[in-house]
Amino acid sequence: MDNHHLNELTLAHLDGCISDSEFAELQQLLESDAAARSRYVELARLDAELRESDGAVDEPADERMSQVSNWSRMPRVAQAMVIAAAVLVLMIPAWMLVGPDRPVGNQVAATTDSPPSKPVRSIAVISAEADAVWKTSRGKRIGRGTALEPGTLTLVEGLAQVDFFSGASITLSGPAEIELRNKKLAVLHRGRVRADVPPAARGFKIETADVQLEDLGTSFGIVARDNGKSSVIVFDGEVRAIDRGGEELSLLEGDTAHLARGNASKSSSDNLGTFPDISAIIERSAGLGKSRYAQWKSAAIKRRSDSRLVAYYDFEGLDDTSRRLPNRAAVGKGSELDGGIVGARVSSGRWSEKPALDFRGEGDRVRFNIPGEFDAMTLYAWVRIDALDRGLNSLFLTDHYDPGEIHWQLSVRGALHFSTSPVGVPPAPAGLEVATNEQIQAENRRFFSDEFWNANQSGNWFLLATTVDCAKQPSVIHYINGHSVGFSGGRNMDRAIPELRIGRADLGNWTDPIWAKDIRSLNGRIDEFAIYSTALTPDEILTIYEEGRP
Amino acid sequence: MEYAEPENAEEKFVQMFAGHERELRGFVRSMGLDWNAVDDVMQMVSLVMWRKWHEFDVGSDFMLWARVITRFEVLKFRRKVARDRHVFRENVMELLAGAAEELDGSGRSEDYRNALQECIKALPERSGRLIQAAYAGDRTIREVADDVGQSATAFYKTLNRIREKLRQCVQQRLDAM
Repeated sequence: MDNHHLNELTLAHLDGCISDSEFAELQQLLESDAAARSRYVELARLDAELRESDGAVDEPADERMSQVSNWSRMPRVAQAMVIAAAVLVLMIPAWMLVGPDRPVGNQVAATTDSPPSKPVRSIAVISAEADAVWKTSRGKRIGRGTALEPGTLTLVEGLAQVDFFSGASITLSGPAEIELRNKKLAVLHRGRVRADVPPAARGFKIETADVQLEDLGTSFGIVARDNGKSSVIVFDGEVRAIDRGGEELSLLEGDTAHLARGNASKSSSDNLGTFPDISAIIERSAGLGKSRYAQWKSAAIKRRSDSRLVAYYDFEGLDDTSRRLPNRAAVGKGSELDGGIVGARVSSGRWSEKPALDFRGEGDRVRFNIPGEFDAMTLYAWVRIDALDRGLNSLFLTDHYDPGEIHWQLSVRGALHFSTSPVGVPPAPAGLEVATNEQIQAENRRFFSDEFWNANQSGNWFLLATTVDCAKQPSVIHYINGHSVGFSGGRNMDRAIPELRIGRADLGNWTDPIWAKDIRSLNGRIDEFAIYSTALTPDEILTIYEEGRP
Repeated sequence: MEYAEPENAEEKFVQMFAGHERELRGFVRSMGLDWNAVDDVMQMVSLVMWRKWHEFDVGSDFMLWARVITRFEVLKFRRKVARDRHVFRENVMELLAGAAEELDGSGRSEDYRNALQECIKALPERSGRLIQAAYAGDRTIREVADDVGQSATAFYKTLNRIREKLRQCVQQRLDAM
């Protein structure tokens, strides 16, 4: 896309001097290209703002008044009030508005009349924890891997590391309360924080009620006490403290300072207590991870010799050049059942050293061809779900949907879903390309598990398992993390299940979908996958979970 | 749910509308209408909103509610002027509205305004004057070009270059927040 040309067309249209042929070209571009639309909208927004402000900097209040006065039914007094309030907010940095003992967040919320518009994007992520206990509203669960939007974090006890998307990283020691404003700014209400700021994130700021600390590329610790006083220590590099009077104080390695009543003053001997080191946390959790990984590995080696396996993929030994996902089941068809890796990239799994495949693009998948007919089956996979972007998101789907073929996937509402059908997709009636949905569903056996996943769990690893036994009722049982769960919906669940078949199939995608444009690519990772020709017992599933949990 | 009290409903409405009018005008503009059309649509929008004001849940997001109404009014307006030249097809307008919502949703309008102010300040003096000349008042590009002492084509080229610079500057600042 030629951006210069797109700019010309867009601005010509906005300025009302576009020719007929240029207009046709622009319209076509906007229809077909999302990037072109973003560009158009950005330039239109700019044009609108420039026009509304007459292209000038710092408009005086009476000019702003004239702009809203074309809303003539508005009482003058109300106008003036609104405008006065708006100007106040624009001119005074929010942190300066705040008294020493009032929480910053509430104050700012109270000074703006507009409710926050639309959800904001995440600005940080919880990257490590040690015995962390969080306090959250409405029972929201947060933990390692949770993406954080602007808002207040309350750590009751333990340690946690939060990585800002600017590159800065902080370690919180509970109890602590900190408000994340944006990816370069946090407000510490109380508690103890150590900040590490790499050069790329220079300018990262932490504010307390009294003082703003700007990191000039290093690390420092800060304690905010309940009485509104705070102290800071610089571990290395330089930190600039700006107090409420706008006075700056430069603190160098080893310096400590008291911050009270809006003043920052250097102090020589201040017992600040200890600031837990981030690397200590990481070592602790990595040490734990290593031993768990080893434990899983030895269990996985034993599992390979289970004669009930159809195929077993442990995802071990993969690297960037791997194009083949080896079947490790000791019995059976061996390498004939190897998968072919298409697009999906090798990345880290449940433990950082463990390989996994990352499914991201619409084309990413692993191809299989697994012959045979089965009257019972178990599917399990360790899956990290990053998002459920589609109505249905593939775990393991046979090509198309022929009689007895299995479809194992995740619904957009966060349920595990298994289906099969004795007729597959019935023949299309005259005049239609595909059978109607009613026809397809009439014989379809569908089983939706309880909804277990929502966006808060993005990045967490789950053991997903489904057992099928044609001779039993219910014939299908879903398991999440080793435990069976109920059904949130389904169809023909009490009717007989046909002999199950796989044949050509995809992990993480769907080849030859029933409806030409149906996309079900997975957004996440898989680092273990197994198919058994029997329905494993609940105890066996629980053991697989216990031996493999991260 | 909390609804506007009848006695202060008008005051509250005026306050909300005034606080978001600029953003809404920008939203309409993003769907490809010229400024005369934007004025016409906004007049309708304010009227419809006032009529429906009792339906607005005061605790909820005003812009979300306002965009739904505005979007509808723009498309209604479009049907009236469909035969005018250079008005986008309905589906293209819908797509643009979606893109505008995405853009607006990512930041507050004060943030945008502040970023733009900073970017204008950072322009070389001559560029700043040129932008001001182009956008102050209701003169055409040709008239402004005459004032500046340039041919309309040369003026337009320079103006586009500055606008692209501002667009980049604003997006970078917003991304950095």
